[in-house]
Amino acid sequence: MDYLAQTFHLLRALFPKLVEGFGITVGVGLSAMALALLGSLLLLAPRMAKSRLIRVPVESYIELMRNTPLLLQIYLIYFGLPLLGFFPSEFLCGVVGIALQHTAFLVEILRGGIESISRRQWEAASAIGMRRLATFRYVILPQTLLRVMGPLGNQLIILVKDTSLVSAIGVMELTMVGKMAIERSAVSIEIFMAVAMFYLALTTLLGAVLRLIEQRTAARL
Amino acid sequence: MSMIEVKELRKSFGALEVLKGVSFQVAKGEVVVVLGPSGSGKSTMLRCINLLEDYQHGEIRIDGSLIGYRTDGNGRRIPRSEVENARLREQVGMVFQSFNLFPHRTALENVMMGPLRVRGLARAEARSLALELMGKVGLADKADEYPIRLSGGQQQRVAIARSLAMTPKVMLFDEVTSALDPELVGEVLRVIRQLAQEGMTMIIVTHEIPFARDVGDNIIFMDGGVILEAGPPAKVIANPSSDRLKLFLRRYQGDYLTT
Amino acid sequence: MLHTLIANLPYLLKGAAVTVWLSLIVLTFGTLMGTLLGLSAAVGGRPIRVLVTAYIFVLRGIPVLVVMLLGYYAFPTLGLTFGPTLGSILGPIFGLRAGAYAAVAAAQIVYVAAFVAEIVRSAVLSVPAGQIAAAKSLGMRRAGILAHVVLPQATRLAVPPLLNNSLTAIKQTSYISVVGAWELTYAAREVVERTLAAFQIFLGVMAIYFLICYPLSLLARWCEKRLVVMH
Repeated sequence: MDYLAQTFHLLRALFPKLVEGFGITVGVGLSAMALALLGSLLLLAPRMAKSRLIRVPVESYIELMRNTPLLLQIYLIYFGLPLLGFFPSEFLCGVVGIALQHTAFLVEILRGGIESISRRQWEAASAIGMRRLATFRYVILPQTLLRVMGPLGNQLIILVKDTSLVSAIGVMELTMVGKMAIERSAVSIEIFMAVAMFYLALTTLLGAVLRLIEQRTAARL
Repeated sequence: MSMIEVKELRKSFGALEVLKGVSFQVAKGEVVVVLGPSGSGKSTMLRCINLLEDYQHGEIRIDGSLIGYRTDGNGRRIPRSEVENARLREQVGMVFQSFNLFPHRTALENVMMGPLRVRGLARAEARSLALELMGKVGLADKADEYPIRLSGGQQQRVAIARSLAMTPKVMLFDEVTSALDPELVGEVLRVIRQLAQEGMTMIIVTHEIPFARDVGDNIIFMDGGVILEAGPPAKVIANPSSDRLKLFLRRYQGDYLTT
Repeated sequence: MLHTLIANLPYLLKGAAVTVWLSLIVLTFGTLMGTLLGLSAAVGGRPIRVLVTAYIFVLRGIPVLVVMLLGYYAFPTLGLTFGPTLGSILGPIFGLRAGAYAAVAAAQIVYVAAFVAEIVRSAVLSVPAGQIAAAKSLGMRRAGILAHVVLPQATRLAVPPLLNNSLTAIKQTSYISVVGAWELTYAAREVVERTLAAFQIFLGVMAIYFLICYPLSLLARWCEKRLVVMH
């Protein structure tokens, strides 16, 4: 009984900090998500360009992101930019680092989606006189959107979990708060469980929302 | 004594009753054709006979033995073990609408699967048996092809050979030509016809009315989970009594006026 | 221009060795454990299925860093120190604190296992039901169906995602540096904090990771292409 009361009080005192950390986590996550989605849309065309001059740099960048750890990329930005005279906040370094890595994966997912739409769709559209851009906008894109929603959603959930890495450069997000609390007190398992539950709630909610969007989009198409 | 005896078969999927008391018999060497609209329970009934489905009420006997369930001293039904059921299925061959060939094995290896893995034959023996059966269904030259390279009709014939490799007492055919392009249907029906001539006891679920008339010794018409009409083709197909059957025949025979 | 990198290369390569070694251990035990869990979730009875599904759900929903916090900080307070058995695999070879490695290795193994389990479970369940019906109709027993029909096909389905997952697992070993265990990324950060040659060192270490990972990445993509042909 004493142990339970003690734990309860500790967690209760910790709760505001955890919520604050959770807020930062969500902030990093959303910012990185937005940046990554934007980046992936911008890089999609170059990635699929016919000209090797345009395509190869993008392919190399994607390959680099695919084969090196996110942590290193975050470190590179965090330690490297000051040398160039830029002093962005840890938050920004973290967001950019995560976005940089995930943009690469998102581009590949989108590309896969577009390429999986049968050539016949393009042919059918041009047969009724549609130009390339219009075809893309009204025929290909909607179908692509539906097809990529699943893998895209999964990638975004991974992104949310990756936000924990920015604790390595001192951002006070959820994992950092948990880590500091564990280092200080004796009830580490309970703190770990509290942190885990926050993340679980976030990823589960995100998963449910994405599935809902997927269903709604499918219905509308 | 009949080869297959079905008595008062009842089956429900949850709240939905699909078989509402089906009874019939199949003598040895007899070919029974089951006709009926979709949802009438024909496939379910077939799957009950080879124990791919359980059922709530009724008795099924193959070659005199009660299968699927046992009754204990107090008259309660006890389901038989999966091993007993598997042993029963060795004697009842089934061919499916969607062929269900194993894609990771060649046609020959598919046919060898039963003899090799169930009957425990040596590989060489299983192989020669399989080759013989492939020849019988007219596909000896396709032995080393993978199913993905074969047409629907060819795949289905391999599926028949695969079932025959277990030397079953009874063969069940579940709408085996429904998924085929029209020009491929004939080659499969030819094989089934040959089996009938050789005296195999068969229950065939199909929509091919002319074939049913030709090959069937007995026709059963099912609708809504019960048998509405039964009898020899001359009676049932030429002279249907129930309106439902008349409607059914009109719908399916219309396509085959030229046959 | 690259002399800081070259000067510190021996130190960094030692870190790379730890990374490779740890990756091998995590992948071996993680894949083994995950395969067993995935198979039991696919073919096992209801209680096992529920337990494993819950395990997969929880571990896939939280960051690996959080799991490592548990292993690294939380368990010692319970008196679970892993030290002798697991730690002896890594410790003596590099003369490093065995207990720490054992804890993070265990955490990563448990984490990777969850992902492997999901891949395996999903692969087994996606073998079409019609084939199982056909195998049953031939009189095949459960073990035979599993061995000759389900597993050959499930394996083919599972290999590409498993390879991709392994790639992720290797990169993930870098995260142990965040909880204070020494490997390549930790070494890189040490050197940069000392020499401030951020670009040289980090880009150089990225090149090392690239050399380790790229072959696997190519293998994964080759397998994907080959499997499309089969089905």
